[in-house]
Amino acid sequence: MFEYMDYNIAPWGHEIVIYFFLIGAAGMTFVYAAAPVVFGNVFGGAAKSMEPFQRVGLIASLVLLAICGPLLIMDLGQPARFLYPILYFHWTSPLSWGSLFLPLFGLCIVGFYYGSIKDNQGLMRWTGILGSLLALSMPLYTGLDLMVNQTRELWSNPTIPLLFVILSMSSGTAVVAVIQLLRGQLDQRAAEFLHAFLYLSLAVTFALFLAEWVVLNYGTGEKQQAWEIINQQFAFKYWGMTFLIGILAPLVLVAIPKLGRDPKILTLAAVLSAVGAYSFREVLIYAGQLTQINF
Amino acid sequence: MPVGLQTEPSLGVPGKKRWAMVVDLRRCIGCMACVCADKAEYDVPLGVWRTTVKVKDTGHYPNTKRHFMPRLCNHCDNPPCVRNCPTQATYKHEDGFVLQRYERCISCRTCIAACPYNARHVLPKNRDRVKIGGVVDKCTFCNHRVEKGLAPACVQTCLGRSRIFGDLNDPNSEVSRLVARHKTVVLKPDKGTRPQVYYIKPDRAQTEQVFSAPQSYAARSDAQAFYQRNRGSKFFSGVL
Repeated sequence: MFEYMDYNIAPWGHEIVIYFFLIGAAGMTFVYAAAPVVFGNVFGGAAKSMEPFQRVGLIASLVLLAICGPLLIMDLGQPARFLYPILYFHWTSPLSWGSLFLPLFGLCIVGFYYGSIKDNQGLMRWTGILGSLLALSMPLYTGLDLMVNQTRELWSNPTIPLLFVILSMSSGTAVVAVIQLLRGQLDQRAAEFLHAFLYLSLAVTFALFLAEWVVLNYGTGEKQQAWEIINQQFAFKYWGMTFLIGILAPLVLVAIPKLGRDPKILTLAAVLSAVGAYSFREVLIYAGQLTQINF
Repeated sequence: MPVGLQTEPSLGVPGKKRWAMVVDLRRCIGCMACVCADKAEYDVPLGVWRTTVKVKDTGHYPNTKRHFMPRLCNHCDNPPCVRNCPTQATYKHEDGFVLQRYERCISCRTCIAACPYNARHVLPKNRDRVKIGGVVDKCTFCNHRVEKGLAPACVQTCLGRSRIFGDLNDPNSEVSRLVARHKTVVLKPDKGTRPQVYYIKPDRAQTEQVFSAPQSYAARSDAQAFYQRNRGSKFFSGVL
C-alpha cells in the first residue's frame, strides 16, 4: 500500500522555476541599465555603451519584476498572506530576505527611472548602486533558498548560489541583446561590452557544470542517486538543452573571435545561453526534489 | 547550547521534557490502525497523511519478506523546517514538539523541501468540516493529548504496542529504558537533524534512502507511471 507514495510529491513546481529564471533576468537587466551611472569611466568607460539601453532596460526590468511578483504570490497556498515573510521576518530563512529585497529592488528601479527623468545624477547613482546590489541578491537568494536545505544533497552545495548568479548574467545579457538588436542599437561597442559578460558567464557556467558532474559522480549515495535521476528523467534537458544548446553551442559561438562579436551571432548565443539557464535551473530544482521521493 | 543556527536543544536539558517515540518494529504487524486513528483524530483529508506505515517487499519468490515501518514527523531536536520557515509558522516547542501555526503559514512549502523525512503535506483548500486548509500540516505528536496526560492517538491505538511514547529526559520512562536497553536506529542521522523517533530492529532497506526505491513489481510500475506522467512538472496543481 505505502511502498510507493505519490503524496510524497516535491513541493516546488514550474512556477518556481519560471520565477527563478525571470527574477535573475530582471536583476541583471537592471545592472546593465544602471551600468553607465554605476561604473562610469571604469574599464575605459565601456559601460557607457549601455546608455541607449538605460530607460528601456529599466522598463524591461520592471516588467519582468511585475511578472515575477504575482507569479510568486500565486504560487503560495495562501496568496493573501504574501507580506507575512516581512511582517514575521525570520532572519535564518533566505526566503524572508528575498521577500524583503524584492520590493526594495522594485523601489530602486522606480527611483532610478525617476532620477533619469529629472536628470538627478545623485539619485541615479545611489539607486543604481543599491539597486545593482539588490539585483544581484535576487538570483543569489534563490540559490541560497536551495542551498540551505542540507537534507537535499543536490542542492546543499555552495556553488548553487554562484551558479544562479552566473546564469542570471546569461539571461540578462539575452534580454539586453534581443531588445537592442530589435531597436537597431546593438552597435559594435555595445556588442563588445555584452560579449565580455556573456563569454565570462558561459565560461564560468561551463566550469560549474563540470564541477557539478564531478561532485555528483564522486559524491555520496544520495548524490549518485541524484545523478541517476538526472540521467534517467532529465537526460534530454540536462545534456541536450542545458549542456549542448545552453552552454557548449553559445560558448563556441562567442569564443570564435570574428563571429562572437557580430551583433546577430552574439544575440543568438545569448538567447541559447538563456535557454540553458532556464533548463539548468529546471533540472536542478526538480531532480533535487525527486531524490527522496521514495524514502 | 545550540551551535550556530541550530535550534535550542531539548534532549538532555535538565528541567525540560523531551517527548520522543520508540517504534519497536518486531511488534508492528502492518494493521494501519495508527494511520486510521490519526485520520480520525484530525480529520485528515483524503490523499494526505500525518503518519503512514511504509511497506517494503524484499527478496524473490519463494524467499520473500514483507517489512513494515511506521513513519511520522521525527520532531527533530534540530529541525531544518524551523530554520527555513520564512514566517516562523513552524516552531519548536520547549518540550520538543515541532508544531505549526496555521494562521501564519503562507504555504510556500519551504518546510516540505527542508524535511528529509517527507513528513509534511499541504492541506487542500476547500474542506467541508474543518476550515483549516491551503496550509502545510504535519504530525504534532498529539501535543493536545499529551498536555492532558494522554498518549498520542497512534500510540493509544497500536495493537501490538509497537509505538511507545514518553519523555526521553526522564530516565524512568519506558522510552528511556527501551533506548538504553536496545540498539536503536534513527532515520538519516547524518543530516544533523537529531530525530526523536527511534526504531528498534529496522531493515536497512527501509532506513537508507539509496535502498528505498520500490522493489516490488507493483510499486515499480506505480513509480514509473508517476514519473512518466509528471516528469517533475505537475507537482502541486492538483492539491492547492
